[in-house]
Amino acid sequence: MKPAPFAYFDPRTVADAVALLEEHGMDAKVLAGGQSLVPLLNMRLARPAVLVDINRIDGLDYIRDDGDAIAFGAMTRQRAVERSRLVREKLPLLHEAMTFIAHPQIRNRGTIGGSLAHADPAAELPAIAQVLEAEFVIAGPGGTRTAASKDFFVTYLTSCLEPNEILTEVRFPLLPPSTGWSFIELSRRHGDFALAGVAATLTLSGGSIADARVGLFGVGATALRATEAEVLLRGQRPDAAIFEDAGTSAAAAIDEPLSDIHASAEYRRDLARVLTRRALAESASRAGAAA
Amino acid sequence: MSAFGDDIPRSLAEMPTSEIKYIGQPLQRSEDRMLLTGRTEFIDNATLPGMLHCAILRSPYAHARITRVDTSAAEALPGVAAVLTGEDAQRWTRVLPTTPEGWGGYCLATDKVRFVGEPVAAVAAASRYVAEDALELIEIDYEPLPVVSDPRKAIEPDSPLIFEENGHNIMYERLFTWGDVDGAFAAADIVLSESFRWHRLGANPLETFGVISQWDAVDNTLTCHGAFQAPSYMARGRAAALDIPSNKVRFIAHPHGGSFGGKGGGRGTDITALLSRKTGGRPVKWIEDRIELLIGGGSQAWDRWYDASLALKNDGTVTGLRVKLIDDLGANAEGFGASGAAKPLACFTGCYAIPVAEYDLKIVATNKLPAGPYRGMGPPPHNFVVEHMMDMAARRLDIDPAELRRKNYIPADKFPYTIPSGNEYDSGNYEAALDKLLEMGGYKGMRAEQEAARAEGRLVGIGVVSTIEPGVFDWGAYSIIGARGTGVPEGATVSIDVWGKIICRVGFAMEGQGQYTLITQLLADYFGVTPTDVEVIQPDTLSAPPHFGPGGSRLGVAITGAVLGAAGLVRDKLIRVAAHLLQQDVSNIELMDGRLRVKEEPEKALTVRQAAATMMSRADLLPKDLDMSPEATFVWSAPDRKQADEQGRVKGYLTATNAAHLAMVEVDRETGAVSILRYFIVDDCGTRMNPATLEGMIQGAVAQGVGAALLEEYVYDEDCQPHTTTLMDYLLPTVHEVPMTEKAALVTPSPFTPLGAKGAGEGAINTTPAAIMCAINDALAPLGVSAREVPATPNRLWTLIQEAKAGKS
Amino acid sequence: MIEQARVDPYAKRRVSMLVNGQPYEGEIEARTTLVDFLRIDCGLTGTHVGCEHGVCGACTVLMDGQAVRSCIMLALQAEGASLTTVEGLATEGELHPIQQAFADCHGLQCGFCTPGFLMSVSELLSSHPDPSDDEIKDALGGNVCRCTGYQQIMDAVRLAAERMRT
Repeated sequence: MKPAPFAYFDPRTVADAVALLEEHGMDAKVLAGGQSLVPLLNMRLARPAVLVDINRIDGLDYIRDDGDAIAFGAMTRQRAVERSRLVREKLPLLHEAMTFIAHPQIRNRGTIGGSLAHADPAAELPAIAQVLEAEFVIAGPGGTRTAASKDFFVTYLTSCLEPNEILTEVRFPLLPPSTGWSFIELSRRHGDFALAGVAATLTLSGGSIADARVGLFGVGATALRATEAEVLLRGQRPDAAIFEDAGTSAAAAIDEPLSDIHASAEYRRDLARVLTRRALAESASRAGAAA
Repeated sequence: MSAFGDDIPRSLAEMPTSEIKYIGQPLQRSEDRMLLTGRTEFIDNATLPGMLHCAILRSPYAHARITRVDTSAAEALPGVAAVLTGEDAQRWTRVLPTTPEGWGGYCLATDKVRFVGEPVAAVAAASRYVAEDALELIEIDYEPLPVVSDPRKAIEPDSPLIFEENGHNIMYERLFTWGDVDGAFAAADIVLSESFRWHRLGANPLETFGVISQWDAVDNTLTCHGAFQAPSYMARGRAAALDIPSNKVRFIAHPHGGSFGGKGGGRGTDITALLSRKTGGRPVKWIEDRIELLIGGGSQAWDRWYDASLALKNDGTVTGLRVKLIDDLGANAEGFGASGAAKPLACFTGCYAIPVAEYDLKIVATNKLPAGPYRGMGPPPHNFVVEHMMDMAARRLDIDPAELRRKNYIPADKFPYTIPSGNEYDSGNYEAALDKLLEMGGYKGMRAEQEAARAEGRLVGIGVVSTIEPGVFDWGAYSIIGARGTGVPEGATVSIDVWGKIICRVGFAMEGQGQYTLITQLLADYFGVTPTDVEVIQPDTLSAPPHFGPGGSRLGVAITGAVLGAAGLVRDKLIRVAAHLLQQDVSNIELMDGRLRVKEEPEKALTVRQAAATMMSRADLLPKDLDMSPEATFVWSAPDRKQADEQGRVKGYLTATNAAHLAMVEVDRETGAVSILRYFIVDDCGTRMNPATLEGMIQGAVAQGVGAALLEEYVYDEDCQPHTTTLMDYLLPTVHEVPMTEKAALVTPSPFTPLGAKGAGEGAINTTPAAIMCAINDALAPLGVSAREVPATPNRLWTLIQEAKAGKS
Repeated sequence: MIEQARVDPYAKRRVSMLVNGQPYEGEIEARTTLVDFLRIDCGLTGTHVGCEHGVCGACTVLMDGQAVRSCIMLALQAEGASLTTVEGLATEGELHPIQQAFADCHGLQCGFCTPGFLMSVSELLSSHPDPSDDEIKDALGGNVCRCTGYQQIMDAVRLAAERMRT
């Protein structure tokens, strides 16, 4: 399985990269970590005439403590995110999710920006982005713009990036104190894409749920927030019954669950219910510990 | 020595050494240094001068007429040396032979394609990159034909036909009745019936198939390098297909990265040979890529629909077994996959003294990839069926499943034992194996743990299963489907040089089982040298002794026979030299501890080295009728083999290894996910030649068994389009999915084999799927549902659990 | 400023890198994968190809000390880097302790996946000299072996770690 031929550029600046994308439009693809793209090139499922390799651009590989958020350069390797003490301490939900992404060899090359831009609904990072309400910084011919997470993920394998844009930074806001979290996924094998997964946070205040976020992945066309379930939870006492109801609500709200050789739509929907309930229970116990 | 080597030691005690130093030791493998440093020449590491690279264009349709082929644009691409089509194949080759006969095509599709992935054209070019570019320029027009994907529909009279000339899609059908089966079922206290679905899976070795062919049309010779599992049989097949005299066909089998039966390669070899011919004799290399293996390779097997019935007495005695099998072999019989439906005869009734049995077998063609051999060769699904029926009986009669098995075991004093389907089990003690297993696993404690878990509402299950792994096959095992002849040869040439170093020439290449190391162990102990004094050489098929190679758990036993047989013939020559020099009668000289010594005066001796050196350099000191060569060849084959009788009964396999497995699993009630909590194995393969390699064989097969039970499945839709096209779809177990197992051995030597060893290479794959499925079903038993579709994916188990809930409310 | 596009997909580019401490150079099409560059252009055939989509791990090499899948990297992406392949482990005929441990524990059968495992283990032990079983499994979860069933591989890694600590 060998790639079809392509012209190759390795620009040294964001501006040069954007200019190349502007020139070649739909004929071009961006090469970041390559862990998703190069297999597609090898299988000739992707056949760009032009490949723009952004690995030589300086200044896109950083982890920055912004106080109320952590900002990652888009080309920060997933392994660096996984190993970062700052991330482990300030964003434990993100740290946990990293350990489920494929295998260390993939994480050594895969980038945080690349995974997000690839927008695979069964991947871990888009779900974290949705739950933490990440902000995306995008560079294009007209300059930079930002996008909210809910606008960034459009549909299956599609982000809001235009053909002439590249992602340069992602900012993950920190969670407030007294927030518990949980990350649970079910996959056929360790490291595979999730059949279904849940990233959840629960912020407690005075013994009640002040805020709840439930992110589902592997079940819809994008990673999504179970907003009705979140509304159900707010203001309630954190107990098994409400978590059960939240799970049912989250599952019911999935439009058209994915169906493939590994799992049917019906099964995925029920997995979403069960995993939501389990994730909320785990979040509650972590919140209790945090309080 | 007789044709079957009566002179070969039957036990370690008969070896000409006072102390066995190497056999039975976990000796480090002689193959390892080269493998560990990356120096081993796997086929893709080999290059030949002027070599071209092949890529194959494959059909996107499962069933279609080919109406137009235009290769002109591909031929014109710079870097392309030749393009091949079905027309060339038809002109230069013959239809490939198959078992059963009459279900084969040419190496490239000619008038129609019969499965997605079937080769339709091929290119030889300067690199694989360019060859794939050229494929995209080949234009082929197809006219789709109706597709048949379900073998139960394929046997209906109005079904689309895979081979119109055959008039139907039934490659083979027969009802075998061994004994008064109807009577046994009529008289039974209880009859249990069940049906099962076992999905396609297959070998998937880490290294795919590869070949470099060179067909020199000037002197009409064919030389092929490749990852060949059975080199001389491949060579024969190619000679026949390509119509080249067999003594001009030379196959060089490279060490290869596993095979497990699924390397395939017939069509790929022919295609590269034809391309070579078309380029004037340049070598052409084809390396199968992983997608090609998944959709078009030799790696799919056991696509099965089973119905089974058990006749039982109230006290738990099983009095009869019926198995009905529809085996979907796919679009042709080129891969020898039909053998997988025949082999179950060798262990049809398992470890049990079931007196009568019936096998209703249909092997059917559909538009899927043709099935090939896969480790186990058919018994793994069959054993799952039998063991499930035994558990059903245990549940029905409220008898512990281990005790139900014990009650039905063939008793230890009844061996050799002939089962209703005709095979003979050489030796065994199934009860002792079970006892050892239950003790090792703490069975009573496990059941207590299960009770406690059940009280908490957890689905914890225990499977305890016993199986037979038939070893050392003969062609008779497959004679019911058309395999001809008896005797599967394995030869070895042993020679000793003037310095006393030993060389052993064999026909097979390294595949991972460590037989080269085994040979060094055998000869080191036989001649009193060290394993590093022994070198194993593998010449090409024209120079090697007759051989088959690995397969059917035969090679350990067969090569032991061959090597010891040859060693014995060399010994006889050396004895003659020593007798002559020591002025003794030949009958007074014996080989012991590397010396040829006078029996009554053992200090009077010649070393093996002295005798060999004398033979090679002092012809004046030799008896007149002795040649100057300390070398001999012996070809071993299993004794006492025949073809099947009119009822299909046949002694197809020489040895019967017994395995008893104990597995504890938990099924997540809400998600259907399975965790394997604990796993124990007792294995009885007779004399154990190298415990380290044996343990590796067992554990490796456990991994494949876990894959079979839980993960691995080739999925086809109704249009026979494959949906498992990458390794993200076809799931191979990783270190996370395979339990570390605790293993123990029982040894009941074989009375029929050299040194008493039994075939053990297929090992746990015969047993692990049954163990895991039985454990899962034990877990589900309180819900009143059972999993009879393999693999038991989380989705499938979840569906069963939902059905149970619905049933309750 | 960008040169006006050489948009020739077949254009060859020069690439150079260190492999096992030795400089290697080539003129290759951009689409050449790193594993093909190593195997074909550099003649280092110890690294094997198992799937060409980054799943089986047979092609694992170290790039600047990190384990990567060379089948899903372009050779050009390794420009200027320092690679280690299986050929770089043994020194002058002496097996590396990891290799020796695999031999001692029968951690290989056909040997095709082994170079990839050795490189993953090499990365693991350089950052985790005393790894737990879970840490070993996490490091090796992306290397598929079809022959061994992993048990003797686990033994080999524990033994290698122990020997390298002393």
